[in-house]
Amino acid sequence: MSKRVLCKFFAHGACLKGEHCEYSHDWNDPPNLICTFYQKGVCAYGSRCRYDHVKVSRPQSSTASSSITEQRPPVSDDVVFGNTGITSNGVAAAPEFSPSRSPSLIPSTPGWNQEQQYHEFVGEDDVGQSRIISPAEIPICSFAAAGNCPRGETCPHIHGDLCRTCGKHCLHPFRPEERAEHIKSCENKQKHLEALKQSQEIECSVCLERVLSKPTAAERKFGLLSECDHPFCISCIRNWRSSNPTLGMDVNSTLRACPICRKLSYFVIPSVIWYSTQEEKMEIVDSYKAKLKSIDCKHFDFGDGNCPFGTSCFYKHAYRDGRLEEVVLRHLGAADGDTVIAKDIRLSDFLASMHLQ
Amino acid sequence: MQASRARLFKEYKEVQREKSADPDIQLVCDDSNIFKWTALIKGPSETPFEGGVFQLAFSVPEQYPLQPPQVRFLTKIFHPNVHFKTGEICLDILKNAWSPAWTLQSVCRAIIALMAHPEPDSPLNCDSGNLLRSGDVRGYQSMARMYTRLAAMPKKG
Repeated sequence: MSKRVLCKFFAHGACLKGEHCEYSHDWNDPPNLICTFYQKGVCAYGSRCRYDHVKVSRPQSSTASSSITEQRPPVSDDVVFGNTGITSNGVAAAPEFSPSRSPSLIPSTPGWNQEQQYHEFVGEDDVGQSRIISPAEIPICSFAAAGNCPRGETCPHIHGDLCRTCGKHCLHPFRPEERAEHIKSCENKQKHLEALKQSQEIECSVCLERVLSKPTAAERKFGLLSECDHPFCISCIRNWRSSNPTLGMDVNSTLRACPICRKLSYFVIPSVIWYSTQEEKMEIVDSYKAKLKSIDCKHFDFGDGNCPFGTSCFYKHAYRDGRLEEVVLRHLGAADGDTVIAKDIRLSDFLASMHLQ
Repeated sequence: MQASRARLFKEYKEVQREKSADPDIQLVCDDSNIFKWTALIKGPSETPFEGGVFQLAFSVPEQYPLQPPQVRFLTKIFHPNVHFKTGEICLDILKNAWSPAWTLQSVCRAIIALMAHPEPDSPLNCDSGNLLRSGDVRGYQSMARMYTRLAAMPKKG
């Protein structure tokens, strides 16, 4: 009976029972969308439940039951009820069913048998020796690479060389590129971890809390100021810089300045880790700018809009055909001999000023 | 709202932890309201306020630390930058030069520094400011010392 209901594990692409499954693996069969908890009385998810909250005993009352009956018109309502009756305790019943229906799926001995495996390995090794292949093609022992090989010296596979950074025997002795790649990525990982460890202790001077101990993940980020090296949470420093200038506060000398040293910074860079050298800071800033440069500017709007930040905008200014905006600056000679860069001149500016007069 | 409460709680714990760290400042939080604080500060030495203990009242806004706390003297003080009647303080860091990195403790320190170094050119107490501006330092000092004796020192006997 349940063969006519689509298996939900199959629908997700992973039913372990395969053809022995008591549910249907045919996409044409309808899935069971009726909440089994609701049938019993109470569903803890209430209105948020992903399944339908309908009483199937009531004929034709819901989309789920009607869709089932549509596909099988001669079947009456009590069959539908019986159907869901099985599925409602299907979860509990499944372990009882499966051994009897599919005995081959539960092996009496565990598949991960040490001895059996050993023989397999030895067999493979013999074949390898008889064929004489280059040592670079033989894979290294994956147990040793993961940290510890239980067979130690007696292992028939090559044990990789020790990687000093991660302390695992995962460097293939005959594959130089792979070694170099692993060492490089391992060192980078290690550096990142070290930096993260050092960053743990750093406190924000606005909320006086450790930045990386904040409750939500979005808050666990530093806000780097471009001109000085005082640490803040990204949310704290952004809140401060965007707060309303009250009591005659000057935007540039107060809000845009570092709360500690009052050095003026024009932008804040978010970062998960705190830096220890200026080179690391430059790296963080450059990667942030590169990331923004790949995002289309919403003010520029592919050439339809107008970006107030002009040439100094961090975002991408590209037209719809992929062409980048070319900026031609207008240099004007001032009376005193200096050259100034003129802003865009618009007819609307003249009209606005004429209107005032 | 939540941020200001958390921050004040941090400051409270800090004050509790190093109570003896600064003997000139004693910060106390109101028992029922964390947004109301009082402080007792000692008048700095070699000033007319030496030997006096001055009481400050803090009223912390909900936007703290994005906005400065409101501070005023509860003890009467003769100082060019303190209003003689209301106790209001004219100090740039409590107004346009506020920064969220200041704490209540550091504000107290700034007020002590202001007591030692008055700014007669932006006076809230014109009489006091005029005395200093006209160069009558002796007159200013004796007036200030008198009010310190009257208001900020425990009565003898």
